[in-house]
Amino acid sequence: MNNVIVAENLDVGYEKKVVVEQVDVCGIKGQLICLLGPNGAGKTTILRTLAGLLAPVKGAVQINGDDIRDMKKADLAKKLAVVLTEQVSLGLLTVYEIASMGRYPHTNFMGKLTQEDKEIVDKSLRAVNAVHLQDRYYSELSDGEKQKIMIVRALVQQPELIVLDEPTSHLDIKHKIEVIRILHKLCMEKGITVIVSLHDIDLAIKGCQTILLIQNGKIAAQGTPEEIIKEGTIQKLYDIEGAQYNELLGSLEFTNSQNPEIFVTGGNGTGIGVYRAISRAGYGMYCGVLHENDIDFHVGKALNCNVIWEEAFNRINDINYKMAQKQIESVDYVIDTGFPVGNINRLNVELILNSVKIGKTVFALCDKDSMKNRYGELAPKIHCCSNIQEIINYISKNKYLKGMKTCNDGISIINRGQSASI
Amino acid sequence: MDQKKQRRNRQIFLIVLLLALIIIVSLISISVGSVNISLKNVVGILMGWDIGNNTFKSIVMDIRLPRVLATVIGGACLAVSGLLLQIFFRNPIVEPYVLGISSGASLFVGLVVLGGYTFGVKHVTPMFLFGGAFIGAMIVMLAVVFAAKKVKNITTLLIIGMMAGFICSALTSMLTAFADKESLHGFIMWTMGSFSGFSWLQDKYLYILGVPFILLSFLLSKPLNAMLFGENYALSMGLSIKTFRMIIILIASVLTATITAFAGPIAFVGLAVPHMVRITFGTSDNRILIPGVIISGALMTGVCDLGARMLLAPTELPLGAITSLFGAPIVIYLLLRKGDDL
Repeated sequence: MNNVIVAENLDVGYEKKVVVEQVDVCGIKGQLICLLGPNGAGKTTILRTLAGLLAPVKGAVQINGDDIRDMKKADLAKKLAVVLTEQVSLGLLTVYEIASMGRYPHTNFMGKLTQEDKEIVDKSLRAVNAVHLQDRYYSELSDGEKQKIMIVRALVQQPELIVLDEPTSHLDIKHKIEVIRILHKLCMEKGITVIVSLHDIDLAIKGCQTILLIQNGKIAAQGTPEEIIKEGTIQKLYDIEGAQYNELLGSLEFTNSQNPEIFVTGGNGTGIGVYRAISRAGYGMYCGVLHENDIDFHVGKALNCNVIWEEAFNRINDINYKMAQKQIESVDYVIDTGFPVGNINRLNVELILNSVKIGKTVFALCDKDSMKNRYGELAPKIHCCSNIQEIINYISKNKYLKGMKTCNDGISIINRGQSASI
Repeated sequence: MDQKKQRRNRQIFLIVLLLALIIIVSLISISVGSVNISLKNVVGILMGWDIGNNTFKSIVMDIRLPRVLATVIGGACLAVSGLLLQIFFRNPIVEPYVLGISSGASLFVGLVVLGGYTFGVKHVTPMFLFGGAFIGAMIVMLAVVFAAKKVKNITTLLIIGMMAGFICSALTSMLTAFADKESLHGFIMWTMGSFSGFSWLQDKYLYILGVPFILLSFLLSKPLNAMLFGENYALSMGLSIKTFRMIIILIASVLTATITAFAGPIAFVGLAVPHMVRITFGTSDNRILIPGVIISGALMTGVCDLGARMLLAPTELPLGAITSLFGAPIVIYLLLRKGDDL
């Protein structure tokens, strides 16, 4: 078989204390395996054990069928390389020197590089696009470049397996993507098996072939991203509070816990920005009527808005329409996001028109020119705005004035009370 | 490729320059003093020519040359020991003195020198002195290493080392309270650090103990380079870390003990020289750094010893004061100019 690394029923931990139990890992040639889990779940402990830096509490790790405890350190180093989160004090070593340290298990007593060694270093630098950095000092590199160089060093070791502990932490999005692409390339082109722990859920789901979810000292699930990442998986895995992760979109939304004061329509993505802005401004909202295959539906849900939804591609039915109307009656403001109107969502326009009729303040985010077309003769009664911020400012101001008024009422009541007692 | 060659040429040039400077400083050091001997005569005596002045010859051959040779090897030992400790602890501000290793050696030298009579030792031999210094250095070093396993925080570790140093110093002062006057004076002079009065016999011990361990540390350049990546990386590259750790402790202790036993505790050479070399040579690669540190350590100690003798002649100043006075501003200057972390 071409299983490069196999660990069955492995208990990992420090001395007698088990951190994660019953770990099963099986890495075949050229596979990219990702460990995903919250801080402190034991990802690093698993990686350290797989890399032979930590003895397993129970079980064994085998590389090409050999137990790594029985292998000579130098032989293991020719098969397995690591990229760790440790601080290194390499300030005055050049990139080339650091990369060539990867030849450590291959070179002679004083570490002299042969022509072959030099070619391997050059090739590896080229593989990760770091040739231009080779004469720079480590201390002159950015975090992203530093990480890249540590990957080159591992690659120069010419291993069959590379274990990386959170190689994308502290990196910006550009370098995160670059690192994952490099790892992907190593798997595909060089047939190296890569085991990596990541914090970026998105990168893991989209970039890795196999994912291990680690939670509460156990492997919660293992398989391809499509198999194991279901709705709510991430929420549960990280025990997220105050925000919702949407697996379908790979996006995170801060949950809104305010009571709805505004009714917002939506559709075809016109709602996303509006929902987020209103939520950021600290208002709760009703959203409707949205189709369940619309992106606005997913974002509205993730924001914890009160969403009225219709089945995909179905005309909005009466029940939903009436429910929406009830909600509109309970709020002061209604916002039309300027969604495209078609056969199945035509009733949303009716909802807007009805709101005007029952005296709600209605805003519309669409061109002045299309107002007439969209609302007919009621168009003049609808506030046409060019962006959501205008609307929020208006609502905030009104709310403030209203607050002042109730406050004044309160004072006059007190005054009256006093005069009564006199 | 060009840049690599340029850097290499610069490093070779620096090594040659420093070697030449050592020779020049040594010659000056031999020539000046309470009796000034011209450089021509110094060279003549060293070459074995008859210059017709036996007093000069005996001053040069019996007093000044042994002293200069002692400063050369002594400085090299201290600087290499400092470098090894900096790599071992992955910290730029450790050296034998800071970690209390010198103080440990001092305590045991004190026991031998001051308490020797009480313990029935009539005559203090160099080997006995070295034995005491070595035991003292090892005890403190092992205590600090043991603490290093428990506490990962380097500041805590430094404080532990300093406290160990204080304990040793306190015990040493208690010893001096009971010591007889004659040996006390000698001991006090010794604790200030000095290369004065070195004999050929002491030189022999210094070189027999120092040279092999300095060479050994150079041979360990490759694993020392791996250590720059930290223990886990070093392990993953195939280094047997446990054995290697013991070897480093052994070398650093022997080097510190050797020099402390004969010349007393000398601060700052172990701390300053590695930094100066790293920055002027522009590398952390130990294959270049170690030769550079050996030569620069020898040079710095040579210059400081010359300064100690000549600055306020005929009074000789404590060497430790001069090394600190010289070294500290240089390190600060280099750091400010370079402006990056070490």
